[in-house]
Amino acid sequence: MSEGDTAVRDATEDESTTESTGAARPAIEATDLSHAFGDIHVLEGVSLSVEPGEIVALVGPNGSGKSTLLRFLARVRTPDEGTVSVGASGQGEDDRREGQGGHNRVGYLPQQPGFRDGFSAADTLRFYAQFADGDVDVSEILTHVGLVEASDRRVDALSGGMTRLLGLGRALIGDPAVLVLDEPASGLDPGMVERLFDIVSELADSGVAVVLSSHNLGPVERTADRVAVLDGGRFVADGPPGELVEAVSAADLQTAFGEFVSTEEVEGR
Amino acid sequence: MSDVEDLFAIAARELRTVVRTPAVVALAVVFGLTVVAVAAAGTGARGGYVPLVLDLVPFVEALVPLLAFALCYRAVLSDRQTGELDVLRTFDVSRLSYVGGVYLGRSIALVVVVFGSLLVAAATVPVLSPAKPTFLALNAAADSPVAFVRFAVLAVVFALAVAAVALAVSAAARTARQAIALAVGLLVAFVVGVDATAVAGLASGTFGIDAVPLVLALSPNGAFRSLVFGVAVETGSQRPPLAALVGLVGWVAAALVVAVLTAWKPVE
Repeated sequence: MSEGDTAVRDATEDESTTESTGAARPAIEATDLSHAFGDIHVLEGVSLSVEPGEIVALVGPNGSGKSTLLRFLARVRTPDEGTVSVGASGQGEDDRREGQGGHNRVGYLPQQPGFRDGFSAADTLRFYAQFADGDVDVSEILTHVGLVEASDRRVDALSGGMTRLLGLGRALIGDPAVLVLDEPASGLDPGMVERLFDIVSELADSGVAVVLSSHNLGPVERTADRVAVLDGGRFVADGPPGELVEAVSAADLQTAFGEFVSTEEVEGR
Repeated sequence: MSDVEDLFAIAARELRTVVRTPAVVALAVVFGLTVVAVAAAGTGARGGYVPLVLDLVPFVEALVPLLAFALCYRAVLSDRQTGELDVLRTFDVSRLSYVGGVYLGRSIALVVVVFGSLLVAAATVPVLSPAKPTFLALNAAADSPVAFVRFAVLAVVFALAVAAVALAVSAAARTARQAIALAVGLLVAFVVGVDATAVAGLASGTFGIDAVPLVLALSPNGAFRSLVFGVAVETGSQRPPLAALVGLVGWVAAALVVAVLTAWKPVE
């Protein structure tokens, strides 16, 4: 654990450096987030900063607070304490009205994306496209996520994996500056998982900041710029996947993950 | 998009959802057939428009709330459970636009079914009425289609009030079980609860006969009935049932405020 703590400290120092040099604001920044459901503290003083074009993967055991943190980042829930600001342009956290509708919108894929039954995949995206600024090419989005052949299929007739891809397509509407993806690879076959992480890489290459949670640590290790390990409501490690693996002398991220979180929690997953 | 455009986009989807939901369509058909059957089978249509109104009042009082609740009681809850509310919020759709859109879309369907069914029922009057007046004949000024149209409009306002309440239930409930419990509880309170309270209050001397209109105005059903007998069917009352009108409009306003406030908590 001592090596993991080092990784966290290094990440904090990097953030301080960014602030002191007056560089561009992060695409999204969460500061000192704490939250409790009754007596259960799910997050305790968590801070996270993601730069434009960066892919940050949140990993951690079930119940470690990943989904809760992602909801706060997507700004669909308010934490008990702490702030979330979105906008690389320096507009700050009070620009919600113009930010959400425009390019600073946070695209959000919930853990279990759901849709109104009876509508086709294309109709569903067209509905959401009405709320985005500018023209939205629904066909292009469906092509991007590999659903163009299922565009006329009713959403209640889509498989679990296709439903998740449609959720990703919905998150992409309006060219969001930040993407928050909760378990985007869950339920996808291995080929589709690779495809999904390829899409995420392409988006990051175009400047989109991506925060995702995943239990698929293989693709995470290959794709993420940073991996933040969440355990017991706190980050126990945060750094590039290679450095995390090296810090605990592990063979890969999966093994390193077991070093960063308590053994019982890993076995309990 | 402006808030108004957001509202209309949501309303359009709600309307399409209602049309594509077989159970709701079936319920609407049953409502329509029941109203027309009451008109055709009862004595009301043979006597004229006002007797038909008198025949239909109890059915409308019982069936319109059922229809309104069936249409609306899970509207917001379903979107919350599928995560669509969360996603809509990332597009910065306001609570007012969302709730207004859901209410508008579902209300359009409700109004079409209620008003359309009642108009079809009214169409049976000239068909079924005998050429000569029966012992139920009323004078032509009192028994006119206008009286029935007034009744149909009041039925629509009644439907809108109950739909607003059902929407508030849908927004306030966090589980389907909660929504069903709230819906059933309110339906019972509306259909029998307030009437029973009025009777009990009178019997016990808690309040006098003058307070009855006010007590009835406390429920959409009571307010609707007061308006029907005070406005649609002229009963010679000196005072228009203002309390009932305020009650009905008050239910719409209060319920929509509850729906807006409980749909979601704004992110600070």
